[in-house]
Amino acid sequence: MDSTTAPHRIPPEMPQYGEENHIFELMQNMLEQLLIHQPEDPIPFMIQHLHKDNDNVPRIVILGPPASGKTTIAMWLCKHLNSSLLTLENLVLNEFSFTATKARRLYLQRKTIPSALLVQLIQERLAEEDCIKRGWILDGIPETREQALRIQTLGITPRHVIVLSAPDTVLIERNLGKRIDPQTGEIYHTTFDWPPESEIQNRLMVPEDISELETAQKLLEYHRNIVRVIPSYPKILKVISADQPCVDVFYQALTYVQSNHRTNAPFTPRVLLLGPVGSGKSLQAALLAQKYRLVNVCCGQLLKEAVADRTTFGELVQPFFEKEMAVPDGLLMKVLSQRLDQQDCIQKGWVLHGVPRDLDQAHLLKSLGYNPNRVFFLNVPFDSIMERLTLRRIDPVTGERYHLMYKPPPTMEIQARLLQNPKDAEEQVKLKMDLFYRNLADLEQLYGSAITVNGDQDPYTVFEYIESGIINPLPKKIP
Amino acid sequence: METSNRELQAAEYLERHRIKELVSYLTSALLFFRPEKPREYLISLLERLRIAKVTGVAFPFFMDNSNIVAMFEMMDSSGRGTISFVQYKEALKTLGLYTEDGDLKDDGHIITLDKFKEEVNKRMKEIWSAF
Repeated sequence: MDSTTAPHRIPPEMPQYGEENHIFELMQNMLEQLLIHQPEDPIPFMIQHLHKDNDNVPRIVILGPPASGKTTIAMWLCKHLNSSLLTLENLVLNEFSFTATKARRLYLQRKTIPSALLVQLIQERLAEEDCIKRGWILDGIPETREQALRIQTLGITPRHVIVLSAPDTVLIERNLGKRIDPQTGEIYHTTFDWPPESEIQNRLMVPEDISELETAQKLLEYHRNIVRVIPSYPKILKVISADQPCVDVFYQALTYVQSNHRTNAPFTPRVLLLGPVGSGKSLQAALLAQKYRLVNVCCGQLLKEAVADRTTFGELVQPFFEKEMAVPDGLLMKVLSQRLDQQDCIQKGWVLHGVPRDLDQAHLLKSLGYNPNRVFFLNVPFDSIMERLTLRRIDPVTGERYHLMYKPPPTMEIQARLLQNPKDAEEQVKLKMDLFYRNLADLEQLYGSAITVNGDQDPYTVFEYIESGIINPLPKKIP
Repeated sequence: METSNRELQAAEYLERHRIKELVSYLTSALLFFRPEKPREYLISLLERLRIAKVTGVAFPFFMDNSNIVAMFEMMDSSGRGTISFVQYKEALKTLGLYTEDGDLKDDGHIITLDKFKEEVNKRMKEIWSAF
């Protein structure tokens, strides 16, 4: 019970439960809110916070120069994520608030609204039910460092900040084509985004102050201010180039907003690598095991070791090896369980490859409780696999493995005596690949949150993709 | 870099309300009981705490008397009835009851079961009274 004589052994169910239910992030969010508001009575505050259950709602800020498409992107994101949009206009035109009436007077007289008033408006609006439940998107606020700091002091923190950027000349020209639909408030463009229906076309209005001079002035002010706002959001900022079609910008923004930031939650990787024979699973597993000190569990290897060591399981497996038949699932699972239940696997995490081969094996794995928390499908086209496998050779004298294309033998003498493993013959490879592809659809359906990696690249590039898949939290999918 | 005023304020807030121990208790309860719905479970725990504080009913201790006795016996493997000072300190750390004040002094006396029980209970009461 003390760590003096033996280290603590934590049952594996605990970290699994913690990861699945995101306990660390839950506690971290609660603690953050406690520290920001510092209530005198922490317990009722915590109860209230837990009831709100809004840790994962979108909290987005979109900034950018005039004519970059902020409002369009903000409106599209709003519809997609079902959140509330907050712009200067709709904050000010809110009829139910006393502060809004004061601000409206200034806005209608075209005077700048003081930061304190603006931030107070934002605070009021964000305390409303719909913003708490469904999240919010701020369009174009904060504009200056003062506003950013005030928002921060009130404890309003966005989770994602998107800054659109484009060259000034593009923006000035783009602004000239801006048109607004007075009924819906949507922004259209004469060249890039013309509405298809003629009735909308007829009622489009030209907004004021889009002449070149005015746009240039607004751009100057924007550049002066944005430089001081950006350092306020160091880790959650992303700059997206607005100099591309709207849909591309929107797609990038949406993927970013749905990604979670890296957390400090304790995480033992339990990685499953799936892919046809020759896709590089063993190599990637070896690289992962070496770098992250995970345990490399290769099913085929385990069985061979069991036979070679003549363990009890080895004796049972041997007849199947001799007859070259596939080992039955029950026996396979027993050998696997023996390895995965050992303390070093539980503590350090594992990389599994070679199993499951089909849906039944996958269900068995799940029922035994070995749930991977990252699954990768390595995709390699048929021709590449043929190339990789059929050109493998081994030198019987030295035991070196060569590949006629990627690692040719140095001398003709060696090349003359090279042998090929009968398992690498074209027919055998085709058979195994067919087997894999038959089961692929089922496995893909079972492991819904799997990540597909293009395996047709050099090993270190593939390794980097796999690494980023493991280290970054899994992206949320919108229901 | 010197810690700013707000940071010091925040650290002092944590100390005053014993937030660290509370969060530690909540997380341990969650991981031990592993309820299907973690949020609801947390809410129910916090409600019980709140009611206990108001009405003065006994606090829901995480470890009761038999647990403390079991822990002591596990540490005292040779059955002498005492544990060493290092073990005592480590055990308090494991339970999350050890503060960095350094008020634990190795006064040469051996730690018996009664002293251990008494100390654990005393510290737990201290923490709960701050909630």
